[in-house]
Amino acid sequence: MARMKFYCDAERCIECNACVTACKNENEVPMGVNRRRVVTIRDGEPGERSLSVACMHCSDAPCQAVCPVDCFITTPDGVVLHNKDTCIGCGYCFYACPFGAPQFPLDGQFSTRGKMDKCTFCNGGPETADNSPDEIRKYGRNRLAEGKLPLCAEMCSTKALLAGDAGVIADIYRKRVVNRGANAYLASGSLQKGAFEALQTPPQPE
Amino acid sequence: MLGLLLPFAAALAAAGDEPRVAPDPTAVSPGVELWDAVRERQPFDAGQVRTQPPGGERGVLINVGGEAWRQFRMQELIPVAARVLGGVAIAILLFRLLRGKIPIRAGRSGEKIRRFSGFQRLVHWTVAVLFVLLALSGLVMLFGRYFIIPWLGSEFGGALTYWLKRIHDFSGPVFGVALLVMIITFMKGNFPALYDLKWVFKAGGMLGGHAPAGRYNAGEKGWYWLAAGVGMVVVVSGLVLDFPNLGGFDRDAMAWYHRLHSIGAVAIMAVSMGHIYMGTVAMEGAFECMATGYCDSNWAREHHDRWYAAITDEKSPSDTATGLVEPAPEPSAATRQQAG
Repeated sequence: MARMKFYCDAERCIECNACVTACKNENEVPMGVNRRRVVTIRDGEPGERSLSVACMHCSDAPCQAVCPVDCFITTPDGVVLHNKDTCIGCGYCFYACPFGAPQFPLDGQFSTRGKMDKCTFCNGGPETADNSPDEIRKYGRNRLAEGKLPLCAEMCSTKALLAGDAGVIADIYRKRVVNRGANAYLASGSLQKGAFEALQTPPQPE
Repeated sequence: MLGLLLPFAAALAAAGDEPRVAPDPTAVSPGVELWDAVRERQPFDAGQVRTQPPGGERGVLINVGGEAWRQFRMQELIPVAARVLGGVAIAILLFRLLRGKIPIRAGRSGEKIRRFSGFQRLVHWTVAVLFVLLALSGLVMLFGRYFIIPWLGSEFGGALTYWLKRIHDFSGPVFGVALLVMIITFMKGNFPALYDLKWVFKAGGMLGGHAPAGRYNAGEKGWYWLAAGVGMVVVVSGLVLDFPNLGGFDRDAMAWYHRLHSIGAVAIMAVSMGHIYMGTVAMEGAFECMATGYCDSNWAREHHDRWYAAITDEKSPSDTATGLVEPAPEPSAATRQQAG
């Protein structure tokens, strides 16, 4: 079985927010919920970098650990899904999650927390009937069942956001890092170094 | 051919003369700083952080407090709460087996003394019913995943927990108001006195011997001030957790209020088990005080001697009029006069 992973390459992300839009459109997410978001740090300074963040489908998921009703499951593909029929909207997963993935649409006349909503890796819900109207209404599209990868990564224009089996993703990223490292080593003062601030002063000629 | 190559050679030679930065294999990857900023490690300078989706903490890439809260809930709160509450239950059971039911030694006199007004009983039972609802629903949220979900399944167990959580959310603010009224209503008689020390040293008579007590004994006074103090902490922290939609508190603040809420609630639940036991089945003549508002005079003499002495010695028409001492129904009043 595959071990599904997201990886966002900070050297490639151009903060176009297309992944955010694609996700909202494909999965018809509730009002006020963004399953994916792009965060830019050092905005407008040298060394500006952007990262696209969503649920990272942890192996040891904190949300799963703290849930009072044990409503999370990890699929054989390593995707962390949660059951909206069991969810009580307590917010514990939101306190525990490192990535800010769990979000709660406001529900009812007192605007309390509704059922939690998060990225499903475009894998729908725990229902056995893939892409049933019920599953689509609650969780969005089940692209994995159709043999496709999450839309955010599939349509990423710079291929900054990678999704898929951990081994494949790691291979792609390793090649990129090796290429960049070779560049940096040969030129000593690469785009990467010049951009995110050189940490060392050049060695003085003796 | 040589003419073609020479310019390149010249260019190479010229390049060689320029001060070039030598490759340094020990150079720290600039990526380190990026991930330090993301993880909010030191040195932390993320500069201006921006994100498109609205909302308080969407710009936070890594919620560093989340793991600490997870450790608190899973490694500390749940095991400690289970031991504390289980320990108190076992202690009560052992106490019952060793000491049995506490009787009124002199037997019932049949003479009734007014102990609680109707309003006091109304307030007490309002708080009590809400407390039990909140405690049970809170316990399900704390331990439910270990017994409700495996037992009833996630479909039914989840729905049940959902409704218990709703009950918890809605009865919480009402409980806060009721608790405030109770604190005011029961304040009289709950201020500590010197003889309370004696009661504490004698462990309330559990070690044998007589422990003096006023209208309330030192244990009841302690329970009152615990319920008032810790109870208000639990109520206020609960209100913070109850209204995430108002957006006044961020994720870390809510996790801290959850810590206060759960620790306080477990403390109160542990002590309440003692209170509920003492008030119901532990002691002959105790439950009827809060059920009917009247207690037996012999019960009062044995358990609240100072209060009994005060109301019988200073029995005056004004006291009777305010309901502090109320003549009980005719036959028992006659009994009392004969006894006196």
